[in-house]
Amino acid sequence: MEDISREQSDSSSLLQMRGIVKQFPGVRALDGVDLDVRAGEVHCLLGQNGAGKSTLIKVLAGAHQPDTGEVLLGGEAVKLANPTAAMRQGIATIYQELDLVDGLSVAENIFLGHEQATFGFTRRGEMFAATRKLLARLGHGEIRPSTEVGRLSPAGKQVVSMARALSHEARLIVMDEPSAALAHDEVTNLFRIIRELTSQGVAVVYISHRLEEIREIGDRVTVLKDGRTVAVGLPARTTPTATVVSLMTGRNVEYVFPPRPTGGFGDEVLKVEDLTVPGVVSGVSFTVRAGEIVGLAGLVGSGRSEIMEAVYGARRATGKVTLNGRPVKLGDTSHSVRIGMGLAPEERKAQGLLLDQSVARNITLASLGRYSRFGWLNRKLENAEAERLVKALDIRPPDPNRPIKTLSGGNQQKAVLGRWLVEGRKLLLLDEPTRGVDVGARAELYALVRRLADEGVGVLLVSSEVPEVLGLADRVLVVREGRIVHEAPATELDEHHVLDLVMDATPSHG
Amino acid sequence: MAQNPGRRGFLVGGAVIGVGALAAACTSNEPAAAPSATAPAAPVPAATGGNDAPGTKVVIGFSAPAADHGWIAAIAKNAEAAAKQYSDVEFKPVEPTNDINVQISAVESLIQQKVNVIVMLPNDGQQLNQVARQATDAGIPVVNLDRIFPDKLSYRTWIGGDNYGMGVAAGHYIGNKLKTAGTTNPVILEIQGIATLPLTQDRSKGFEDALKSYGFSVTAKQDAQFTVESGTEVASNLLQAHAKIDAIWNHDDDQGIGVLAAIKEANRSEFFMVGGAGSANAMRDIQAGASVLEATVTYSPTMASSAIKLARLIAQGKGMSDLLENQVPQSITLASETITKENVDQYLPLGFES
Amino acid sequence: MTEVNPQKVSAPEADEQARVEAAAVAPSGPGAGRLALGRITGARHLGLVVALALLAIVGLITAPETFATTSNMVSLLALAATIGVITVGMTFVIIGGGIDLSVGAIMALASVWATTLATQAYGPVVMAICAIVVGTGAGLLNGFLISYGRMVPFIATLAMLVAARGLAQRMSERRTQLVSQDNGALVELSTTRVLGLPLLVYIFAVIVALGWLILNRTTFGRRTYAVGGNPEAARLAGINVRRHTMLLYGLSGLCCGIAAVIIMARTTTGSSTHGDLYELDAIAAVIIGGTLLTGGRGTIIGSILGLLIFTVITNLFILNGLNTSDQLIAKGLIIVVAVLLQRRSLQTAT
Repeated sequence: MEDISREQSDSSSLLQMRGIVKQFPGVRALDGVDLDVRAGEVHCLLGQNGAGKSTLIKVLAGAHQPDTGEVLLGGEAVKLANPTAAMRQGIATIYQELDLVDGLSVAENIFLGHEQATFGFTRRGEMFAATRKLLARLGHGEIRPSTEVGRLSPAGKQVVSMARALSHEARLIVMDEPSAALAHDEVTNLFRIIRELTSQGVAVVYISHRLEEIREIGDRVTVLKDGRTVAVGLPARTTPTATVVSLMTGRNVEYVFPPRPTGGFGDEVLKVEDLTVPGVVSGVSFTVRAGEIVGLAGLVGSGRSEIMEAVYGARRATGKVTLNGRPVKLGDTSHSVRIGMGLAPEERKAQGLLLDQSVARNITLASLGRYSRFGWLNRKLENAEAERLVKALDIRPPDPNRPIKTLSGGNQQKAVLGRWLVEGRKLLLLDEPTRGVDVGARAELYALVRRLADEGVGVLLVSSEVPEVLGLADRVLVVREGRIVHEAPATELDEHHVLDLVMDATPSHG
Repeated sequence: MAQNPGRRGFLVGGAVIGVGALAAACTSNEPAAAPSATAPAAPVPAATGGNDAPGTKVVIGFSAPAADHGWIAAIAKNAEAAAKQYSDVEFKPVEPTNDINVQISAVESLIQQKVNVIVMLPNDGQQLNQVARQATDAGIPVVNLDRIFPDKLSYRTWIGGDNYGMGVAAGHYIGNKLKTAGTTNPVILEIQGIATLPLTQDRSKGFEDALKSYGFSVTAKQDAQFTVESGTEVASNLLQAHAKIDAIWNHDDDQGIGVLAAIKEANRSEFFMVGGAGSANAMRDIQAGASVLEATVTYSPTMASSAIKLARLIAQGKGMSDLLENQVPQSITLASETITKENVDQYLPLGFES
Repeated sequence: MTEVNPQKVSAPEADEQARVEAAAVAPSGPGAGRLALGRITGARHLGLVVALALLAIVGLITAPETFATTSNMVSLLALAATIGVITVGMTFVIIGGGIDLSVGAIMALASVWATTLATQAYGPVVMAICAIVVGTGAGLLNGFLISYGRMVPFIATLAMLVAARGLAQRMSERRTQLVSQDNGALVELSTTRVLGLPLLVYIFAVIVALGWLILNRTTFGRRTYAVGGNPEAARLAGINVRRHTMLLYGLSGLCCGIAAVIIMARTTTGSSTHGDLYELDAIAAVIIGGTLLTGGRGTIIGSILGLLIFTVITNLFILNGLNTSDQLIAKGLIIVVAVLLQRRSLQTAT
């Protein structure tokens, strides 16, 4: 803590990165990046996917070594040879995919790698006490140090990650999209914690796709584009959105939603009656019509994703679900797919993609039956179809044989959607379709979803971002504590109204 | 994953029952149609003198490795058959095992039961020595079968085969035959069993020494695992390594089935082969004379029958009636006999099924 | 496989992965001009082919009269056939994200079951069918326990290993069961030669070819990669992951049954001692062949090359009169070196 007070008295930069270059085979991920972070500030890092943010924070975390360029910490050049070295310098990184061990307790996770031990025996009592202190400091005294981390909500896990950073006496905390997995009130709490940290002199590097968050919490903004710094130290609150977006994209757009159709919708595609998932969803009924986009708005844990998964058959449930009049076998995804459903799951990498495989194979995965006879694949047909979809979806780069893990989040998401762009699809279930997708690609995804709906597909949409639900959906169902508490056309709702409905009497999540 | 242990338990149980039922239903090895299947009755030596007359009642404990080989299976069978012959013997076998630890506890349980005498074929003489000593110290005489304990205080009597002698017998047969044929610089191959066992090393030594007396030596040797499959693998490679062969000694008739299969597959017949141990199967091959197998040298599991007889005599305080001594000798080494087409008929009843 | 140069695209019908990787290794090579063999094996197996070639050179130097003979080559293939067939099944299981420790035991059980006197009474065809049915059945039971009983593959197949061997010992009463003279037709699979090769080598070749086709040219193969690469994604894409997993183990069991037929032909016996530690040889071959133990990636050709490397090592050692302990050391080294080399070649390919 002495370190921090010294930094505080020093008004100049805590961290300076100058001319960082990092070359990967075939890609120049960082091409001369500068970053300047002061003690006690929230410094936001903006940029589209692929702009180099992830590589930059990996350099900061000691996970990558820059080819050229220097890193100064408190005015002194430092070498962050590995993650331990970075941590020893007081730099902690909280990744988007939280690097916690699910099977260990909260306390064990926080002290992982620097256990308080005597002769190899951990001093549990001390660790628990220290953990309690750290959690209390973060305003989450209700999390028990002995709880298994796997049992915590995403927000709870994030708190644990932050506590771990604090346990290292970090003076710089890097947060990669910390709000992505959080619902609204949890974000509020996150901001409270961040303010607390910065008031103690800790600097925070904050990465988010949500501009409104950056306005609320950020002090200064650095914008990256194509591996270069295009703007340094812009004031976060006063720089016009248009300026920021155009710096990132070269385009003057933020959320552009496609126009809603003027005519009515078709027949009822999906009918859900009295759907119950024990403990999560109780007796939900609703319908989706052909060509209609129905949005489910609700907090994480409200049951919105569970409703979607139960409808798709990915989760055991009771109740009656019919698709075009045919009963859906609950708990059998292959049946759901056969009768015309498709799902773009919430966790794209964990639930959606075959990361080792090519774009083409990811696209054709769910429709192999179409390109085969008696199980024998017609690969010409398959490849042609994949190529056609890559073009139609404008997946970039337009190479169906490229491993999908090399694509940006937005393009990966397009491939997941592309999986369902085959004839006979009647209902698409989209769970957080734009999570981790940059602003430019979002507009394309929105347009794509609308185009599908216009072709007669029913769409059920889940999103944590209320503006997205309001902008894209035709009709909105507000979910709270496993029930639908309100239903209205999207045009009759505004963000505040929905937020009120969503948050009413919802206990905070830990 | 773990929310439903009851169901899982049921599934596992069901599976086990299923396998059991299947096995019971259609795996019979004893159809009336195939008389060759039934194992021949274990060889029972003719009664000698008056020693076979019922005497004091004795309880004989018996411990041996689990059979993974026809020879070991024959040991257990012979022991049991010999015990059954006597009305004054109560035979107490413990569960056969290949685990040293389990055999130790099994023998300990025999000690606790206070049997009168223990017949033991140890998995490993060194490692079982301690528990044999315990038995002896507890006043229970131990008849050590085949694999010898290093400490003479651990056993009353040892009876076993002669591994060195086996090698000598094989060496003499091969040396004599080649010498008679006037072969010079013959290619003689040796296919061993498990190379790390002392018995294998003894056999090889005897073979080498006997051949030396004819001025011959082993051209190449390879070790197998006493299993059919390892016999095939080693033999097919060896046959490739040597374009012309004069003689092969294969240490073990069980693995010899595999060796013969490999020879047949390679379509080779320019040499002759000698086996080891004396399985019924090998004897039948020798009798038929259709394969390269001309002879086998015995290491007979009948020693188990003899061990039971010795144990009974020791417990009853009797000697061997043909000998002058009042007590059973401390050590009996069986001779390794050479079985050829000429004498095979006489040995066939003693052969063990592989 | 990561971040392969995207721009090299050749004939669309060529194997996609092999093509991309080949392009990465030899950027200027025109795709159309390559040999058919090269297209099938691909550059990813270059290391294995080189290793095999090196072993062959060692063979030519150390055993000049015996190594390069036709009969030695034939003998090598016959030796490789048994584990080779098992390795094909193992490759499927491992690509599908599992592991099968019970292959050797299942083969032993199938060989014993097929050589019981009750079965032998029906003749060689029924014996072969019996072995295959027993193998497939045991494999499906593995699959059922894993898919629907939700057991970890390692544990379920370990249980099968122990139980199948026990059952085999019980049925055979721990004896070696000879294939009777009446059923000599079965043994002829190993003694009858067509164009200089024993019939069982053709069986081996057919199984490898079928395995390759199923893995690369059918929906089943494609789904195997998906199920192994990301089972949750596969499930959500509508693939019946449980049924598929069960079938994978059934396929492995089927291969064990076929291997049992081959081992019966080669050794003229069924025995509970057959196939001892085959699981380790098969897994090692698959790993040397570049299949990830975590699933989702791998090839049949790689596994077979891995196996041939093992077989040639054994052959070389025996031709030179060296003992088995040295072979074991060499095999251990080969596993380590192969995996290290593979990692390097993957990195240079990216």
